Amino acid sequence: MLAPLVPARLGDPVTTRNPPRRCPPAADRASVPGMGGTDALLAARLAAGDDYALSEVFDRLAPAVYGGALRVLGDANAAQDVVQDVFVELWTRPDRYDPAAGSLHTYLTVLARHRAVDLVRSELRRIARQERHGQLDAAVPPPSPHDEVLAAEMAGAVRAAIASLPDAQRRVVELAYFGGLSSREVARAAGIPEGTAKSRLRLALAKLEAALDRQLLESP
Amino acid sequence: MTTADPGSLPAALRERVLEAARQARAAGRPAPEVPDIPPAEAFRRAAAALDGLLSSLDDTEWSRPVLRDLDVQGLVGHLAGVEEDMQRALAGDQAVAGADHAASTQPAAERQRGRPPARTRAEWRRAADRTLALADTAGDPGAAVALHGMRLPLGALLVVRAFELWTHDNDIRKATGRQAGTPDAATLRQMTTLAAAMLPVAAAVAGLPEAAQVHLVLTGPGGGTWDVAMGEAPPDPVPLTMVTDAIGFCRLAANRLSPGDLDVHVTGEPARAAGVLAAVAVLALD
Repeated sequence: MLAPLVPARLGDPVTTRNPPRRCPPAADRASVPGMGGTDALLAARLAAGDDYALSEVFDRLAPAVYGGALRVLGDANAAQDVVQDVFVELWTRPDRYDPAAGSLHTYLTVLARHRAVDLVRSELRRIARQERHGQLDAAVPPPSPHDEVLAAEMAGAVRAAIASLPDAQRRVVELAYFGGLSSREVARAAGIPEGTAKSRLRLALAKLEAALDRQLLESP
Repeated sequence: MTTADPGSLPAALRERVLEAARQARAAGRPAPEVPDIPPAEAFRRAAAALDGLLSSLDDTEWSRPVLRDLDVQGLVGHLAGVEEDMQRALAGDQAVAGADHAASTQPAAERQRGRPPARTRAEWRRAADRTLALADTAGDPGAAVALHGMRLPLGALLVVRAFELWTHDNDIRKATGRQAGTPDAATLRQMTTLAAAMLPVAAAVAGLPEAAQVHLVLTGPGGGTWDVAMGEAPPDPVPLTMVTDAIGFCRLAANRLSPGDLDVHVTGEPARAAGVLAAVAVLALD
């Protein structure tokens, strides 16, 4: 049994967290037998709330995470936001990383790429909305030359993806997103039932997102 | 749009990210979160687990030697005796404050001889239930209770008792050829938290030769991370980091595993780590 002696001190809390602390050097690091390799050990430490482990992972893998995000986004500030998202997710949901499924490096860089693609995709949606509602909006400040280049590139990517759709789906997308029609109006204009118009739009949007993901993921 | 070299990180990004992470989840606590349970609930669960084990034993297994000179039936009698002393402690009886844990309960262990095992089990179970009932009506869980050389807040003492029940549960499992049992994560979390809190006491009792600032990481369900100063010297700015699994650490604290058999990952001086582990083992009494 656990049977400590006396201590009057035990009435008081004796365990404290003492941040900030200096992380010890990792020179004496070794795997715990039965706990798998370094990534498995790091994952177990993260799950146990070991913030030293988070610092270690950051120092080892943040450059790769940042570099991956930067390649997709081309924007340092946005890439830093992705790095923060990725490491906060690792820290708050360490159970989502399965060491048996691959390395921590792979997990984090893929997560970063997905986050970066999500950012680009939301930007594409914003552009599509702008096209749908008209280019001019007095409340919106004029875009910078950089923004215009980026927007043009993204709009081009959207148009290319739309062009790859089957004719029937491309038609409803053009009517809905560039014509600004409701699904009922799309149905009337295309001469199809409203339910068919809605399902074609859903299918088309799913294909568009998949096509854009592929395009972005395959980009250098 | 700004560009940067992918190979180098922007200044201040590290601090920004680590701070955001700590804001999102405080360091020290396990993830996924383990529900906080009251100490009495940890004791109740440990008692229920032991009762379940006892219900599965046949008559020959009750006679297996298990600890000191006790067979399983004698050990359960010892536990009934501990409950009796606990109840006297809750009533403020000073006679049990400094009593020896084994000697004080030996009569309760010996009176089981020749009894049907079911009677021993029922006696212990009634005693455990009575402890729970008294603890429920005791009021302040922070009030100190003195028992068998310990003087602890009632809540901590109930966790010590849960620790004891789990330890003897596994003693019986080992003696009867069963696999070791593991407490549920919430109960284990109570036990690991208590064991970590006791480290300074362990250092004092063991006479730790060198003070150490220990960064203790206990992995697996019921684990967590603690920073504990062991010894009287000012904390070393570079702590000794020790990573091991929660169950192994609890077995060490219960003196059911030797320091040399514990799988532990150390960052820091190995000799100092060995001293800390040896000190943990003195927390055990029987």
